[in-house]
Amino acid sequence: MIDTESIMDVLREIPDPEMPISIVDLGLVEDVRIETNGDSAVVSIDVLPTFVGCPALPMIENEIRTKVGAVEGVGEVSVQFIYDPPWSVDRISDGGRQSLAAHGVTVPEHGSKLDVPGHGAKVELRTSAITCPFCGSNETRLDSPFGPTRCRMIYYCEACRNSFEHMKRV
Amino acid sequence: MDRLPENLKQPTIDLLLAVADDKLMLGHRNSDWTGLGPILEEDIAFSSLAQDEIAHAQAIYELLSPLVNKTADELAYGRSADQYRCAKIVELPDNFDWAIAIARQFFCDHFDRLRLGRLARSSYKPLRDLAYRLAAEEQVHVDHVDAWIVRLGRGNDESKRRVQTAMDGLAPLAPMLFEKVDAEDELVDAHLYPRADDDMFHAWRDVLQHVAHEGGLSIELSPPDEDAHGGRRGHHSEYLKSLLDEMCEVYRLEPGAAW
Repeated sequence: MIDTESIMDVLREIPDPEMPISIVDLGLVEDVRIETNGDSAVVSIDVLPTFVGCPALPMIENEIRTKVGAVEGVGEVSVQFIYDPPWSVDRISDGGRQSLAAHGVTVPEHGSKLDVPGHGAKVELRTSAITCPFCGSNETRLDSPFGPTRCRMIYYCEACRNSFEHMKRV
Repeated sequence: MDRLPENLKQPTIDLLLAVADDKLMLGHRNSDWTGLGPILEEDIAFSSLAQDEIAHAQAIYELLSPLVNKTADELAYGRSADQYRCAKIVELPDNFDWAIAIARQFFCDHFDRLRLGRLARSSYKPLRDLAYRLAAEEQVHVDHVDAWIVRLGRGNDESKRRVQTAMDGLAPLAPMLFEKVDAEDELVDAHLYPRADDDMFHAWRDVLQHVAHEGGLSIELSPPDEDAHGGRRGHHSEYLKSLLDEMCEVYRLEPGAAW
């Protein structure tokens, strides 16, 4: 018997191609719908892209189709990329945050994503100190607001002299 | 609304082309710096800016695609120069002068952010949802270029003089970013391109002047001449043609080829 929880279990095993956590922990999976049609089920999955046009999207779609399609009783898999609700770093799960930190990637705390502006106001990206994921020091500084992928920035820890990555507050 | 009323179709196409074409050309100009940035971090930054802007343009072309019956690639690479709706400022080469690249980015990114902020409240749902995400991403660009304006302004005599000269050089052209596409007022009335809370030109000028002031620099900007015809209505600089010749060189060898 296929239910949404069993499909979610399969999705939890799919890693993001650019981040060392699953697409579920990254907050990409918005909805799973199952329509039973005789012996086979049609599974519809709504996925939120992180950054618009992220090159990892076709890979994610492929992985979902392959893995969910292999579940017994699943006849058809459809994957929709939608922007409502918008993905933001706030959607990353606590477990995902811990795994990312272990890999040297920190995530802005819940609720700190930037609001989309009305007008005029200057953008302040660098608010509070970012804690180093390796040694816990707050003696860190922004090294580069752009990093290895479009969603990450590079920080440097003055205390343990390591670079680490921090996800953008979007 | 989820579907466009027939009478708003053409103005919407023109507006979305303006947004996407600005992003595509600016992204192409940003990519000129890949491998040539003044420091490694800026090489990465300008390459990332290019990646963002071209991805944004692609997403908007895809939104347009069913309205015009063309693929995103055909829209990006398959038009003649007079069919583009970008403003002239994004067409200009910077001749690998870092001050010009930063000043151009400064004018364009702030404008883009304010425009996306309006589109993120659009009555047309597919546009609203996409614009919200794009606006969130654009904030990072604005933050980055603001930091550069202040850094160059406070740097040394040469950096200050060069960034001031670059801003002065672009200031007469920059307000043409605000040129309206044909029938734009109808889109505003239908809240498809909702009115800004405050006058958008003043909001733009105020934030540019505020940041420039922080760097000890100054900017004079006059509202755009309503009668002047520019890129939004297909009148482009001589540079657009050479930009397109370079950007579309491979596409034109075999349009529609699969990659």
